[in-house]
Amino acid sequence: MNSSKTAWLLLSPTIVILIIVGLLPFLYVLYVGFFNWMPLGKNKEMEFINFGYNYRELVFDKFFIDSVWRSIRFAIVTLALELTLGFLLALSLLSSFPLKAFFRSVHTLPLVIAPIVVGAIFKLFLVQGLGPIPFLAKELFGFKLNYMSSEAQAFWTIVVMDVWHWTPFVTLTLLAGLSALPQDPYESAKIDGANNFQIFIYITIPMLVPVLIVVIFIRMMDSLKIVDEVWMLTAGGPGYSTRFTGIHIWKEVFEKRTYGYGSAMSVLYLYITIVICWILYSVMVSRGKANEDE
Amino acid sequence: MKKLLIALLVSTFSFSVMADGHAEWWKKAGAPYAGTVIQGVAENTPPGQFAGEVLAKDFEKLTGIKVQLENTSWDQMYDKAIKDMEANSGIYDFVYIEQDIVYSYLDRDFLVNITQSLKDQPELVAPMVNMDDFTTFIDYFKDESGDVFGMPMEAFVKVYLYRKDLFGAADAKSGFQKKYGYPLAPATSFAQWRDNAEFFTGYCAEKGMECWGTTVQGHTGHPASTYEFLESIGPSFGLYNWGVSDDFHSCVEGGGSLNGARAKAALTFWTSMLEFAPPEALQSTWSEVASTFAAGRAAQGWVYGENAAWIASNEEKSVVVGNVGVMQPPTAPGVMTQAAAGEGYIGYFDGGAYGIPHSSKNKEATLLWLQYIAQSEVQADWAVAGARITHYSTYDDPKVAAMDQIADGYFTLMQNTGYLYAGAPMYPFHAAGRAAIDPFTYAALAGEMSPSDALDGACEALDKVMKDLGYQN
Repeated sequence: MNSSKTAWLLLSPTIVILIIVGLLPFLYVLYVGFFNWMPLGKNKEMEFINFGYNYRELVFDKFFIDSVWRSIRFAIVTLALELTLGFLLALSLLSSFPLKAFFRSVHTLPLVIAPIVVGAIFKLFLVQGLGPIPFLAKELFGFKLNYMSSEAQAFWTIVVMDVWHWTPFVTLTLLAGLSALPQDPYESAKIDGANNFQIFIYITIPMLVPVLIVVIFIRMMDSLKIVDEVWMLTAGGPGYSTRFTGIHIWKEVFEKRTYGYGSAMSVLYLYITIVICWILYSVMVSRGKANEDE
Repeated sequence: MKKLLIALLVSTFSFSVMADGHAEWWKKAGAPYAGTVIQGVAENTPPGQFAGEVLAKDFEKLTGIKVQLENTSWDQMYDKAIKDMEANSGIYDFVYIEQDIVYSYLDRDFLVNITQSLKDQPELVAPMVNMDDFTTFIDYFKDESGDVFGMPMEAFVKVYLYRKDLFGAADAKSGFQKKYGYPLAPATSFAQWRDNAEFFTGYCAEKGMECWGTTVQGHTGHPASTYEFLESIGPSFGLYNWGVSDDFHSCVEGGGSLNGARAKAALTFWTSMLEFAPPEALQSTWSEVASTFAAGRAAQGWVYGENAAWIASNEEKSVVVGNVGVMQPPTAPGVMTQAAAGEGYIGYFDGGAYGIPHSSKNKEATLLWLQYIAQSEVQADWAVAGARITHYSTYDDPKVAAMDQIADGYFTLMQNTGYLYAGAPMYPFHAAGRAAIDPFTYAALAGEMSPSDALDGACEALDKVMKDLGYQN
């Protein structure tokens, strides 16, 4: 048996599983998206409307558009914070300090916690009358923290939760990238009289671009499809403040039972996510090439 | 004395003979299904816990049929039950049907017709079950022809609870009289409710006590808040059936009243109570409100009746045992008259039933289980544990009468004034409609929208749902 056949043979179980649990459901969602299907309505049957009806409705659906902007804003804010913090932590972990191994292990712990549990932990910490954080915020800073009482507090609480959960991922990935960088360019730069800031901007960052692309790509996609933690902590409230698109779709599909419209929403949001990530990828790659040319 | 002794002996003897006869019947009827495991899903409430922990075990001992009841959170329960019934997967043999969702289930033909099933299988009919003993609450689970689709397992009203110790404190009485110019008493009007709430918030703070003036079921991310508004606060101000007109319009412009003056007054009053509510109010569903009251953190409040008994009697869970007062919630002028005339209602008559999905794979065994819980003789202990009554005869049971005294006449109130309360309106689109209103309730509670704007937005959203679903012309 040649190596190509062996490879296909070994891959075949995975491919079959991917087709069953990934491709077929996706095709079904795509198909349902062309129908009007509302079991709570007077007409409960699946009724073909036309190819573009649900999608045309979506373009004018204020609540859906708002949820997409909210998700994008959330993804940008969390990405910026996680990258900044992750970079700083990765740089600090490159140097030696007492209890470094212990710190690194503890710092990585949030990564192994399931998102729904992260939501539950934050809820317990933040619940009024029981959670220590509102108590400490009031006692130490005189700040009345009640995350379900204001849209801003709810949004930023979710941001903090996401940053806490995922910064270790950014740190570890960047740390791996930083550790693997060749030392020659640094030595040359030092001989040429470059200071630390110049070395960071002109050597470290350009050489880390491939790693940064991966990190940004993964975190952007994850942030755009956030559901579990938010579901546990705020369930999308108060008002619409934390109703990110994933939550919005869930509520449309499973509370209102608008299967056709909800399916179209899912497909359109997938498309938006892919476009955003593709734009990001293109920008990062072109920047990387420009830096290499310089 | 001799006659009394003989009567007692005769009645004890007859009862034990009857009980043995019942046991024999259950053993015989259950024999073909012994070893069967029936699976159910329900909300984790005191009545649900009693069913799972006590009745299910007794039933298994008699019949050999094992009942696994998954008591979970309200939203998980619906999610699991509906997905199972939609997919026809047959995971659950019985599901909890809350009164407000039954119209949706019937409309979607999810449920087995229990009456018809028993007619078709007379060998499964338990002779000791008296369907006429059910209160009128069972009517919610009947179709137009009177067939039953759900066996009621809980029914209760949402009442006004207050702390007798606080309202009876001498310094509180004098302080209140001095500040407001009239005597301190449980609220019979909304103005009095507000004064009480304001007073006790200040009173507790002065004394360094962790308590506030009122409860508010104001979770800003859970439908419980919308329910408190639509089912309790709104009706007591004269907003009935969500303000939806007969031709399915909810905005005033279309003939509805969800954004009418009464609704706006109700929402304004309710959200204004947050100032005097414990800080957890914005994260409180019905369960947290009960826990808040049981923890002594509120002087008065709207509390679901299913919690009244344990709050009043369970010293392990409640610090206000012996100090719980129960009353009918206040109403706006004219509402009581309308309710008495059957033209309105003053609050929420809640409850639920267990029903059998068509997808169940053990319908016969489940029919036996549902009849087991429908027996008049198992009702009293259940009522004491869960403050729920579904049978007329339960009111007369000595255990229930004793609990009634401890719970300050809650059962008497339910028996005498239950007709003034009502369940949710018969909307098959219930969940979709409520989901459309939710964000506006949350925004009003969080202060992000005025009550007036929130209701204007809510009625527009609800109208859109009813239009999309084909209910509006």
